[in-house]
Amino acid sequence: MSAQDQIKETVAANDVVLYMKGTKSMPQCGFSSRVAGVLNYMGVDFTDVNVLADDDIRQAIKDYSDWPTIPQLYVKGEFVGGCDIITEMTLSGELDTLFEENGVSYDKDAAEKIREANA
Amino acid sequence: MRKIDLIRKRLEATFDPQELEVVDDSESHRGHAGYQEGGESHYNVRIRAAAFDGQSRIQRHRAVHAALGADLLAEIHALALDIGTPG
Repeated sequence: MSAQDQIKETVAANDVVLYMKGTKSMPQCGFSSRVAGVLNYMGVDFTDVNVLADDDIRQAIKDYSDWPTIPQLYVKGEFVGGCDIITEMTLSGELDTLFEENGVSYDKDAAEKIREANA
Repeated sequence: MRKIDLIRKRLEATFDPQELEVVDDSESHRGHAGYQEGGESHYNVRIRAAAFDGQSRIQRHRAVHAALGADLLAEIHALALDIGTPG
């Protein structure tokens, strides 16, 4: 299977997927760490794909989304954004809305706490 | 031309921004992945331009990526973007 097909299959089979450097329990980059941290804190059940473990995927994911950087978050197969966008959407509440619209369960209180801490 | 000047020049040429701030943040990533001696690896950009009016977050980021160009992006390890419209 090509790396592109592999990505297609992964984002179709899992509601929330984060392509990142390292893993959700051991991120290898500050930007990946920030997004994984937000999702972990909000109690979101997500699939992590470590691009450092696979050079083909690392390149293919950039082509797939036409986006030059890692991390990349996908919800229900749709590319949502990278670190800056996820941070902005967390603080604005748009991420909550996106999860609600897609039936992704998350801890609303935790999301509010993040916003309070960054107000 | 230093990368920071190239970033500024390309963004100014494409978006005619009302506000533009480009910071070489490489030093704060010393010892982390992607750090290189001499800096020029990590940048923070804050840009406000009318050109972004009506665009989604993803469209805005894509527009900035396109303006910077693949050659420059390939030489930068990390680029934090704060993109908005004036006012």
